[in-house]
Amino acid sequence: MADGLVLRNVTFRRGHVTVLAGQSLMVPRGGTLLVTGANGVGKSSLIQLTAGLLFPDEGEVQINGISPASVGPAALVNAGIRRAFVFQQGGLVANLSALQNVALPLRYHADTLGLAEEVIEQRARFCLGAVGIEGAQIHTLPGRLSFGIAKRVAFARAMAIEPNYAFFDDPDAGLDRENAQVVEDILTSYRDDPAVTLVLVSNHRALIERLAVSVHELFDGRLVRLELGTLPPSSLV
Amino acid sequence: MRPSTRYEPPEVPEPEGGWLAALGREGVETGRVWGSALGLMVAAILTAFSPGKAAARAVRKVTFAQIFFTGAQGLPFVTATAIVLGATMMLQMRVAAPGLPGEIVGKVLATVVLRELAPLVTAIIVASRSGTAIATEIGNMQASLELLGLSSMGIDAARFVILPRLLAVVVSVVVLMVYFGLVALLGAFGLAAVFGAPQLSAMRAGLADTLALSDLLLFAVKGVGCGALVAVVCCHYGMQVNGSSTEVPLMTGKAVIRAVLGCVLYNFAVTLLFYSVLGTPSAHM
Repeated sequence: MADGLVLRNVTFRRGHVTVLAGQSLMVPRGGTLLVTGANGVGKSSLIQLTAGLLFPDEGEVQINGISPASVGPAALVNAGIRRAFVFQQGGLVANLSALQNVALPLRYHADTLGLAEEVIEQRARFCLGAVGIEGAQIHTLPGRLSFGIAKRVAFARAMAIEPNYAFFDDPDAGLDRENAQVVEDILTSYRDDPAVTLVLVSNHRALIERLAVSVHELFDGRLVRLELGTLPPSSLV
Repeated sequence: MRPSTRYEPPEVPEPEGGWLAALGREGVETGRVWGSALGLMVAAILTAFSPGKAAARAVRKVTFAQIFFTGAQGLPFVTATAIVLGATMMLQMRVAAPGLPGEIVGKVLATVVLRELAPLVTAIIVASRSGTAIATEIGNMQASLELLGLSSMGIDAARFVILPRLLAVVVSVVVLMVYFGLVALLGAFGLAAVFGAPQLSAMRAGLADTLALSDLLLFAVKGVGCGALVAVVCCHYGMQVNGSSTEVPLMTGKAVIRAVLGCVLYNFAVTLLFYSVLGTPSAHM
């Protein structure tokens, strides 16, 4: 079984956009894949595809040798694949409070993860605290939270599962400097963790420079690897 | 030439390939929807056998909440509709056929109210209350990436979202259907008593004479079928929302229309089957 993330001859179209055209890629366990690219080239679709949330039209995506297209999402957790995904926006369950959102994956997989109820509650509160969410906010529904706070709740939910695969779609977008810093710290800790395979898409020069990993540019259905230190000039902000 | 101020309605263009082709396309689309909805139902039911006690606990919790929303919260509306409908039936019979023997009145109540109106009206009420809620909620979950978010956490939407709604609607429709029948009869008998109908005992006898054990089976088949139909069609259309919240009302409208139409056809088919197996209505009555 190959540890890591594998894309094999993947073609994926969304509407009129060819996101990937017969592309292959391997991200080893503990590795980092950072993708940049102009607006509308399909970066969000690409990261959802690599996480196994969308399925390729042709070719195959494998996580630890398992194709998410051929098994249910729970089977991945049962196989020891704990994915965390932070969407550009949204993704939180609207009728659950911030605390319930963070605790949801822990409660749902409590027996697989071997977690008791007290531990779940404790861990959920700890993760929310780590991104600066405390007090009444933890009992608030996502719809009543500001964009930045909701995004931090999504980060807390991602951290709570203690992922070995972490996917972040434009992670620092919409955050103020202080919170962007918190997010950058989380990302760098995942980057340095040999047990976590990190995949993220971003057009933010500061974040890309801070992470200091090689960058792939998504362009015209192709993933082009850029040399360390060379960034595509046009699409970055 | 002076332009005419008279309103000329626009010509309705004939559909591509003619009306017959349009009808064929609608048939194909309906078949596609039923096929897809059936697939969704089977997938959801199969997830009930998936491992994971904690997941099963979470699903049970959602199911009970859904039963509360669909069943318990629907009670006042079902009560009011049933009582008025039962009373209206009795009023019509008293006006149209004042000399009708009480026994026949009882038989009509059993066949029309219990066998037909109770399942169908209950299904329509549930479709309009909870079906719209289900289609809207799932549509919004699609639009706001909640379903993808669940999947990313290893939570199967078929188990966590679809299955509880399917179970809740089926249970609610069956229970509300029985309740509707009883309350409608109460309305009918109540009106008869108020207007001093002399044959209440004959009506009761006619009712009891018509009802058989097989009616329980009919109730179960109609209730489970209509409930499942409403749930899966509404879930199916909710899942069809593709990233934009403006699609939600469109899909909700389609869901309710198709669910109600499906219930009407299903109700008719089951009645037909019921009498073809157990004999003609007159033989059965």
